[in-house]
Formats: sequence, structure tokens, C-alpha cells
Amino acid sequence: MTAAFPFPAIVPAVPELMLAIGGVILLMVGAFRGDRVAPVINGLAIALLILVAITVLYLPPGTLTTFGGSFVVDDFARFLKVVALLSSAVAIAMSTDYFAAVNHEPFEYPVLIILSTLGMLMLVSANDLIALYLGLELMSLALYVLAAFHRVSARSSEAGLKYFVLGALSSGMYLYGASLVYGFTGTVSFDGIAHATLQTSGIGLIFGLVFIFAGFCFKISAVPFHMWTPDVYEGAPTPVTAFFSAAPKVAGMGMVMRGAIDAFPNVVDQWQQILVFVAIASMALGSFAAIGQRNFKRLMAYSAIAHMGFALVGLAAGTEEGVRGVLVYITIYVTMTLGAFAAITAMRRDGRIVEDVADLAGLARTSPAMAFWLAMLMFSLAGIPPLAGFFAKFYVFLAAIKAGLYTLAVIGVLTSVVGAYYYLAVVKVMYFDEPAKPLEKMAYELKIVLTVAAALNILFFLYPGPLLESAALAAKSLFE
Amino acid sequence: MPYESFLIAGLLLPFVGGCVAALLPTNARNAEAWLAGTVALIILALLASAYPRIVDGGVIRFTVEWIPDLGLDLSLRMDGFAWMFSTLITGIGFLVVLYARYYMSPSDPAPRFFSFLLAFMGAMLGIVLSGNLIQLVFFWELTSLFSFLLIGYWHQNAQARDGARIALIITSAGGLCLFAGVLIVGHIVGSYDLDRVLASGEAIRAHRLYVPGLVLVLLGALTKSAQFPFHFWLPQAMAAPTPVSAYLHSATMVKAGVFLLIRLWPAMGGTQEWLWLVGSAGLITFILGAFFAVFQQDLKGLLAYSTISHLGLITLLTGLDTPLGQVAAIFHIMNHATFKASLFMAAGIIDHECGTRDIRRLSGLWRSMPITASLAMVAAAAMAGVPLLNGFLSKEMFFAETIEVHDNSIVDQALPYAVTLASMFTVAYSLRFIRDVFFGPASTELPRTPHEPPFLMRLPAELLVVACLIIGIVPAMTIGPILHAAVRAVLGSTLPKYSLAVWHGFTPELLMSIVAMAGGVAVYFALRPYLLSGIEGPPVLRHINGRRIFERVLVTVSWRFARWLENILGTKRLQTQLQLLAVFALMAGLLPLPVRWAVTDYGSASGFDPVFALLWAVGVSCALGAAYQAKFHRVAALMLLGGAGLVTCISFIWLSAPDLALTQLVVETVTTVLLLLGLRWLPRRIEKISPTERSAGTIRWRRSLDFVIAACAGVGLATLAYVTMVRPAPDSISRFFVENAYTQGGGANIVNVILVDFRGFDTLGEITVLGVVALTVYALLRRFRPAPESIPIPEQQQAQNVYDDRHPDRQKGDTLKDAMATPALMMALLFPVIGVTALFFLLRGHDLPGGGFVAGITMAVAFIVQYMARGTIWVEAHLRVLPVRWMGVGLLMAGGTGIAAWLFSRPFLTSYFSYVETPVIGSIPLASALLFDISVFSLVVGATVLMLIALAHQSMRSHRTPQAREARTREAAPMKPAK
Repeated sequence: MTAAFPFPAIVPAVPELMLAIGGVILLMVGAFRGDRVAPVINGLAIALLILVAITVLYLPPGTLTTFGGSFVVDDFARFLKVVALLSSAVAIAMSTDYFAAVNHEPFEYPVLIILSTLGMLMLVSANDLIALYLGLELMSLALYVLAAFHRVSARSSEAGLKYFVLGALSSGMYLYGASLVYGFTGTVSFDGIAHATLQTSGIGLIFGLVFIFAGFCFKISAVPFHMWTPDVYEGAPTPVTAFFSAAPKVAGMGMVMRGAIDAFPNVVDQWQQILVFVAIASMALGSFAAIGQRNFKRLMAYSAIAHMGFALVGLAAGTEEGVRGVLVYITIYVTMTLGAFAAITAMRRDGRIVEDVADLAGLARTSPAMAFWLAMLMFSLAGIPPLAGFFAKFYVFLAAIKAGLYTLAVIGVLTSVVGAYYYLAVVKVMYFDEPAKPLEKMAYELKIVLTVAAALNILFFLYPGPLLESAALAAKSLFE
Repeated sequence: MPYESFLIAGLLLPFVGGCVAALLPTNARNAEAWLAGTVALIILALLASAYPRIVDGGVIRFTVEWIPDLGLDLSLRMDGFAWMFSTLITGIGFLVVLYARYYMSPSDPAPRFFSFLLAFMGAMLGIVLSGNLIQLVFFWELTSLFSFLLIGYWHQNAQARDGARIALIITSAGGLCLFAGVLIVGHIVGSYDLDRVLASGEAIRAHRLYVPGLVLVLLGALTKSAQFPFHFWLPQAMAAPTPVSAYLHSATMVKAGVFLLIRLWPAMGGTQEWLWLVGSAGLITFILGAFFAVFQQDLKGLLAYSTISHLGLITLLTGLDTPLGQVAAIFHIMNHATFKASLFMAAGIIDHECGTRDIRRLSGLWRSMPITASLAMVAAAAMAGVPLLNGFLSKEMFFAETIEVHDNSIVDQALPYAVTLASMFTVAYSLRFIRDVFFGPASTELPRTPHEPPFLMRLPAELLVVACLIIGIVPAMTIGPILHAAVRAVLGSTLPKYSLAVWHGFTPELLMSIVAMAGGVAVYFALRPYLLSGIEGPPVLRHINGRRIFERVLVTVSWRFARWLENILGTKRLQTQLQLLAVFALMAGLLPLPVRWAVTDYGSASGFDPVFALLWAVGVSCALGAAYQAKFHRVAALMLLGGAGLVTCISFIWLSAPDLALTQLVVETVTTVLLLLGLRWLPRRIEKISPTERSAGTIRWRRSLDFVIAACAGVGLATLAYVTMVRPAPDSISRFFVENAYTQGGGANIVNVILVDFRGFDTLGEITVLGVVALTVYALLRRFRPAPESIPIPEQQQAQNVYDDRHPDRQKGDTLKDAMATPALMMALLFPVIGVTALFFLLRGHDLPGGGFVAGITMAVAFIVQYMARGTIWVEAHLRVLPVRWMGVGLLMAGGTGIAAWLFSRPFLTSYFSYVETPVIGSIPLASALLFDISVFSLVVGATVLMLIALAHQSMRSHRTPQAREARTREAAPMKPAK
């Protein structure tokens, strides 16, 4: 071949490259030095993630594209990347104490998180169906391993296996949909698909759309593709669950938003139907099914399903305001869930890990600070004003109402009332039940995560500007 | 100007005070009370200073940007109505603080109480001062939260916890409804600003969303004001300390609901819906509350139901939908707050000094605490509506309003009689409160000896009672201007005529009052026998317990229903999850069909070929058979799968893609063989299908269901694939390849040119991945421990060995060797043949079907065949296979070819080609891509063989392991006695 092929500009992808190279270097260090350097690798991994987050912020401004238009860095991608990177960093920080307690401090853990985060960054920057798949799989493969991370535990292995089997099936669905879309539009690039759907939107395209969204729904654990969530949340080691509940959700939501808005802006009515159904089903199932749960992690799994439903309410609006609502929602959700999981990770009694809500009985008396912060997070998750969780819901419902989706908004409010029940049940157990034997002392890093997360949620309403404005910028860039 | 900053200062002060209060030491009762009292007094002073402006109908506003891009400002707005409410909140707040100082016991943690109380005061001020609706909802929910915390203050008490929980659930759920309602109102108006909302009443009432909006707002207001059917939380909330009950649950928080109703009346009232919804809720609550109150045995319970009843009265007034009704409602809010707060304080004093508040045990307290008794009696008289007290005035207004004709329905006509009846009960319970507690024989057996409380504890109640008296005697001079300002703020400039005189002459309402008084006394004496029997609650109706119904509904609707739902829908079984996933995917696929069944672009089936159809029939049966056999017979399933694969190969040839077919064929072969080898090590099938006993019918049904799902999914996929295939292919890059493969890549086999030239970089990546995969398989299998039951040698071999053992002339394994003799020979001979074929594929690959990948796999087949024929040990003794080296060479060579292009200052992996004449073979194309192809070949051979070896070595290791273990135990055995 003689035609010179221009080497793609790599500046937009510098954060990804840093992460990839850094991850591999850390893997090598770990592979040659063994598990005893795990603490060092943990620290380095956190530093790397934060460094990459800073790099993302210092990329040249504006919308940058490279790799033949399949990789785009706009404000939307920057926003989600920073959130994903920071929550990954927090997830690593939260793991050290737990793994020390189970006498298993593997150096692979931070490396896997870095690789998964790399997938997330690529996912939110993906501007065609193939790049999206690449990011998706890179993220998911690391997640499969992470779910089964506690190898000696049968539950963890089961969780990993289930997640892998179902995940592979859903990836297959996505690919199938993508190939149909390609077959009917002749292109995989989002802009191209958007352009092609201007004139026609045949049934084949709708098939493709449906399958692509089925794949999406699986990754963000939305009903009816949510089945893996409770099992994986319960089975995986708690820090892994914490990670699962935060960064992948951010990236997943980013993927759905970019896919819906950038690739299919001309068939909004088609995917709106899908999203409205998925949102309602997720909110309802998440809210109702969580009530019966005794295991806190399982409860958080259903809570995650419901919250994804709430977030999708904003996207279902299909407007810039809706997207902004989703971005605000997902950011606030990440702080809530990470904080809650910091508390769950710290749940240990007599050196054994306990996970039931009932184990928190009387926590208000045995460790009042932890109980208070956790209670605040529960209130925030329930969406009780003036906590941040309320505003998160407020913006998405507002967007839905402005878009005329009244039924959706009303169902959303009703299910959030139902949801409040089980969050308050946790508070009730902590404050009003007779204390059980006190839990062990919280590790300081978990304490910091819990306190900071709860404080952010409490104080959000005083100074919501930065988040709202940057989310607005991000949403704007998605629609340009 | 300063008024504006007063507003924000007044709003922030309680919150700041609350934070400070929380930091004080636990036993600092006095400091806490001083702090809270000072805060309340400062705000009162600020309010007083604003009075001149308010009384002229002025409105003070304060606005700062809060969330600007949403159009949400932090907006405070004080008009006469808000001023009146703020004064009530802070004034009664101050008195309650003073009272609480003496009421709370030294052992109660004071910071928590006072900080919550102050914060509540701030939240309540926030509600009445809010200039936009969202902000109002925000403070609304805050009051619910602090109410929860204050009710649950004595959290060691189970009743307090339950009460707090119920109150929170009801009021915060109502708050959420209110929020939704406010959003709807905001949507209609286009702004949440209170002024704009109030100004667009017409638009709101005409909008099609008016009714849902109204219902939601009413849900919020009625839950907060404890209106039927949400009233039951208020009696439960009486578990709170009495100052809290006096403050939150009679004077202020429960008034927030009616406050909102009156506030929004100009915007949302004036319709039949309003009249009926609000009016009937108010009427029912008024009657039922009064009726229930008579039968309470707990002093606070009586007051709680009385509060419910009076709130019902106010709601009814608002619901009557007339300007005069609003005036009476506002007036009664003030009056009720004064007399009910003082009554609660009196009840608290009695509880505090006697140790009980059970009416059955209390009696004749007049003697031991005369001043408290007088205070309580005056306040109770005001509650009953005795003339010369403030309660009388607003009640007269109320009666006058009920006589008016509203919509002239039967209910409207019956209204005066109904309210007179309810007022009889009001009089009856007031009388009961006075007579049963303070008169009669002095009670003995009280937990404490009753005596007068400290002066300062009595003072708040005294002040309130004095207020009742003054307003009752000279209303126009005292409360007149304030009421006027408040009414004007609500109704605007068109004020209805009302008069604040004590004596209006002989009017129908006076008659109603007299009837109510007389009737009340009669009711009281008629019910006395029943009341003395000591039964809690009214006859018959006491069995209908709102709280119990609520809890039962909650339990059923919430977790019972949820568990049931989870049992039905949830599953932890992977099988079911997969099944659901497949079904959902199938449904998702079917979903678009009814939406648009467009058969436009299906293309024309270009002739039906029976042979091709037959071929596919075979393929489909193979696939179905494989699916069916997967559970019962893995080997058969695998064979059938191979059959389906072969049909695919033939299909490729049929559709003129020989290169694809060739690749498919060799890949199919190798994977089938490798899978077969792998199957050997899988655990044995569990014969029983399910560990739990299930009938054969269920199993068959489930399996058929799975089968149907699989078949449907398969048919769906095939259809879609077909539809996509017969469409004209999109104009893609493939045309470029077709046109340029020969001219630029020097090969006629386009696929191969793409692989090694156009997309050489991709191929480099792919072969690297293949290498990694092979290494991973090797690494994983090295640690693989087969299931115990698959370790012994296969059954056939065991049988053969038994046969060999029985015959002395045979050695173990002879039969196997004999049976394999001929195949082994043939396979050994095949080795060079297959090798040459591989070479052939490799060399011609650039122009004709073949190429490095195909050749590599073919070569691997040669090795596999040897392993199969002679066994691992023999092969490795005779043949040095170094798969890792093959792989390494392949990778290095591929990289080298790429780098070589640099030497000619071309980009990485640029290829060069020409034709070379060779003696025997003829002209062969010699592109640099051939080198690359060779490296692909080398890597593929290495990778495939490595996987094969990894599998093959299992048989050696697992046979060895039991023997090794035996040997080890034998060695260890003699050691035992030594230990």
C-alpha cells in the first residue's frame, strides 16, 4: 500500500494513554514484586487516576476529535471522565482496609480498576459504534474479573460467572444491534447514522436500535436487564461492589446519552418509548423489590436499579435540560453510593464481615458519627430535601415535565416515595433498634469517604453552582 | 432598606442559633433557654419594627440569586399574612422555650432539644416567608424532618419512635405530593414566584392540569394539617414532649397546611373542585375530631383530637370558598394558636406536677393548683366558644359563614346543623376537660403530690390566656389592624365587610351558639356513664383505628407485596436469568413489528433453490439436535454442532466465498477437536435434572419452553440476517478493496490482501492477541484440577484393561494399541501430506484461497492428528514441538517485516511485491507480505499447538496424581508412630 496514512493526533487521547501505560507499568511492578507491594501500587494507582483527571481538565478547550472521528473529547466527555476517574480513585482507597481484613491484599485490584476505568474513558469518548464497543468490553472484562475477585469465596465466583455469562449475552445483543444499524445506514459513525436517519428510518434500523438499547440497559442495570445486579452486588467483595455502583454507572450513563443523542437524534420518538418503559420499570421494580431485602448490599443493588430509572427519566426527556439533569443526578448519585458503601465496607464485627441491615441496629448509640452520616446519605438517597439527592431528582423530573412526560414524572415521584421507605428503614434500625454488639472501628480512609460524601450531600444546596454549571456546559456540548 | 436585611437575618438567625445550641454542653439548660429565647425575642423585635410598613398593606421583599439558571431565587416576601404567622411562630416559640426550660428534666439532653426547636422555628419561618413555591416546599419538608426528630426526642420510648415514624411518613409523603403539585402549578404559570402564581388564578383554573395540580397540593396541605383521612398521625405525635406538642402540633406546624390553603386560595380556589374537596375534608374532620375528642382518656389525646377538629373547622372555612370564609379562617388560626398552646402547657404542667395525664386518674386539681386550673378553664372556655373570649368571635364568624348559601346542595343546606352538632361535641369535651380534671373529689394515688408549678413555667400560659381575654373583649382595638393587614394580603384590595364586635344582636349564629352550648352540656352529661367506665375511645368507632389500618396497609403494600413480587419476579438462578434475558431480547426484537410492519425493503427472493434449501434444512436440524442433546449427550451435541458448522462452510462456497469457507472449515475442525479433548475433563453430568423433586411433566414443560425460546430466537435472527443480506449492501470500504487489492497489494485474494497488507496493522494486533490467548489457556490449564470423577481412565479403556489382565499372554494396554495400530499408521503417514498442504495454502494465499492463517491451522491439524494417534508420550518422545518458540518467531518476524519498511523510508508495514520465476513451480508472487503471512502461519501453529499440548498434558498429570498421592501417603505412613 502506497498511500501515506496520516498518524492520528494523540493529544485528545493523552489521558487514556497515560492510564493505559500507567496501568501496565503498575501491573509489571506488581507481577515482579508480588502482593507485598500492593499498598504502594494502591497509592500509585490513586495518584495516577487523579493525575489523569487533572490532565483531562487541562486538555485544549473545545471539542476535539481524533482517530478518524471515532474518538471525541468534548465538555460532556470531560465531565464524565473526571467523575469516573475520581470515583475509581475513591473506590481504590476504600479497598485497602477490607482486603487487609480478609488477609488478601492483591496488587491486581488497583490495576484492574485502572484498566476498567480506561475502558470507561474510551466509552464516554466513543463516537462510533465500534469505538463504543471497544470501550464497553474493556470496561466490562475488567469488571467480570473484579466481580469474581474474592476467588476463595463461592459467592464471589458465582457473581463473576453470572455477570460474565449475562454480560457476554448482552454484549452480543449490542453487537447484533450495531451490525443491523450498520447494515441499514451503511456507517458506524454516530454523525453518519444521525445523517442517514434523516431521510429514512426503516424497520431494520428500529430493530438495531432496540438491540443496542438492550445492551445499554444491561450495562446500567436497568430493568428488564437488571437481573445480575443484586447477585453481583451481594456476591462481590464490598469494595468491588462500591466500585461497581459508581464509576461504571457514570460511564454507562454517558454511553447511553451519547448514543441516544448523537447517533439517533432523528428517531427520538423511537428511543423515547424504550426509555420511558425502562425508566418506569426500573423505578418501580427497584423501589418495590428493595423493601424486602435484608442484606444491605442487595438493598443497595435494588436502590441502584431504581436510581438508574430516575436518571433515565431525564434522558427520556431527550432535551438538553434532561441531559444536564442526568449528569447532575449521576454525579450526586456517585457521592451518595460511595459514601454508603464506605459505611458498608466498614461493617465488621469481631473480625467477621457482616452485611445485613439488622447488623446496624443501634448504631446511633455505639458509633453516633457513622450513624449520623449514613443516615444523612440515606435521606439523600431517598430524595428528602434539602439534601443533594432531592435536587438530583428535582432536575430530572423538571426536565421530564417540561418535555411533557407527566406520567413519567408522576410515577417517578410515587416510586421515590416508596423508595423512601427502605432508606428510612435503615435509619430506623440505626436509631431506634436496640444496639447489637458494636461494630469494629472504621478505618480512617473509610471515615473520610463517608464524612466527605455525606457533607457534600448536606451542603450541596448552599452552593450548587459549580456542578450545575459544568453539567450545563457538558450537556450543551453534547447537543452541538 | 433595613427591612429587607431584617428578613434574611430573621430567617437565618434560628438556624445559626440551632447550630450554636447543638454545640453547648449537655446539661446547659439555662444557657440553651437563654440562647433560644434571645433568638426568638430578636426576631420578634425585628418583626415589631417592620409592623408600621406591614399594617399599611406593604410587602417587604428580599431576593438573592440561588440557582439562577433554573429561575430559582432565594426569595423572601413578607406581607400582612406572613407577618401575622411569623409573629405567631416567634411569639409562641419564645413562650414555649421559656416553658420548656422548666418542663424538660435535667437528665434530658438539652442541646438536642433546643437546637431542633430553633431549627424548626427557622424552617417554619421559611415556609411563611417564602416568595417562591419551590422554596416553600423545601422548608415544608424541613419542618417534617424536625417534627420527626422532635417527636422522637425520647427515642428510648417505643411509642415516641412509632409516632415519629408515622408522622414523618405521612407528612413527607404529603410534602412530595405538594412538590409535584407545585411543579404542575409552576408549569402552568411559567414561574414559581408566589406573586406571579397568585396573579394568574384565571390561567390556573382554566388549565387542563388544574385538577391533578389541585389534588396534589391538597394532599400536601391536608396531610400536614392532619385532615381526615390523614389525621391519625397527630394523636400518635403526642408522644413528643409537651412543649413540642404545644408548639408544633397545635400552634404552628399543623397550621402550615391551612396557611398554604389560604395562601393559594386566590390562585386555586373559587371552583367546585375546591369547594367539594377542601370543604368536605374540613367538615368530616371537624365533626369526627370533635366526636373522638370527647372519648379520649389521655389529656393530650383529647387536645390532639380537639386540634384536629379545629383544623378541620379552619379547613372547612377555607373550603367554603368565600372571601369572608378566609377572613374567619385567618382569625381562627390566631385564636386557636393562643388558646390551644396554653391548654397544652396546662396539660404539660398537670403531667409534670401529678406524674400522669390520664383523665381517669385526675380529679379535683382545683384545690392543689388553683391558678393553673383557672388558666386552663379560661382557655378551655375559649375553645368551647364562650362569649367574651377570642374563640367565641371566630366561631360566630364561622357560624355566620355556614349559614350562607354556597352551591345550595343538600350538604350545603345541612351544613349549619352539622356544624352545630359538631360544636356540641366541642363544648362537651371542653367541659369534660374542665370538670373531670379540676373538679370532683381530690384524687388520691397520684404518682406525685400536685402543687403549683414555678412561676416562670406558668407565665407563658398566663400570657396566652390574657391574650385570649383581651382579644375576646376588645377585638377591634387589639387584633383588628393585624387581621386587617393579613386579610388584605390574602384577598387584595377588595375586602369583604366583616365586623369584629362582641355583640351583633340576636342573629342566627348566636342561636347556633346557644344551641351548641346547651347541647354540649347535655351531651356531656349523657355520655358521662360511658366515659366513667374507663374505655378509651368512642363506642364502635374505636375499633376502626386509623393508625392500625395505616400500618397494616403499609406492611402489606410495602414489604409483603415486595416480597411477593420478588418471589415472582426475582431469581438468583442463572438459568432463569438467562431465560428471562433471552425472552426480553426476543420481545424487544418483536416490539417494532406491530409499530411499523414495512415490507418495503425485503428485496426479491432471487429464485428458490431446492438443493440449497435442503442443505439448510440439514443445518437447522443439526442445530436443533445440538440444542436438544446439549443436556444429555455432550459429544453428540458437539458433533451436531460440527454438522451445522459444515453447512455454514458450504453456504459460504455456495455464495462464492471460497476463502471464507476454507477458513471456516479449518477453524471448525480444530475447535471441534479441541472441544472434544476438553470435554474429557468436564465433570460428569448429573443424572438427576434437579436436586429438588420435580415431576417429569414440569421438567418436560420447562425444557420444551426453553426449546421454543431458543427456536424463536434462532428464527428471528435468521430472518433478520436474511433481510439484511438481501438488501443492497451499503457503499462501504469494500469497494476500495476490490478495486485496489491487485494494483496496490499485488494479490487476487482480497481477503488475504486485506489481512496482510491493507489492514496489516490490525492483523499484527490480532496475532498478538492470539498468542496471548494461547499462553493464557496454557497458564490456566497448568493449574487446572479436573473433577475427581473424570480422573480415572475412560470406561472403554478400563474394560480393555480388564480384558488384557484376564489373558496372561497380553499386557495391559495391548487392546488399545492393537485397535489403534492401523489408524495410527495412517495418521503418521498423513503428517507430511498435511504439512505439504499447509505449505501449499501458505504460498498461494496471496492470490487464491489460503493464506497464513489457514495454513497455520492446517499445520496444527497435522500435529493434533499425531497426538490423537499415538498419545502424548509417544509423540513428545519422537517429535520436538516447541510451540512457544513458533509463536515467538512468528511475532518477531511480523514485527520485523513491518520495521523493514522503515529501511526503505516507508511507513510501518508497507509491503512490496513482484513476481519471481522459479524452475518447477512457475511464476510465484513474491510480496513482502508473504513474509508477513509466514509469520502469521508460525504464530497460528504455535498458538494452536500450545493449547493442544495444554489439554493433552492433562491426561498425563491426572493419571499421575493419584499414584503420586498414594506414594506420598505410603511414605508418610511409617513416620506416624515416630511422632
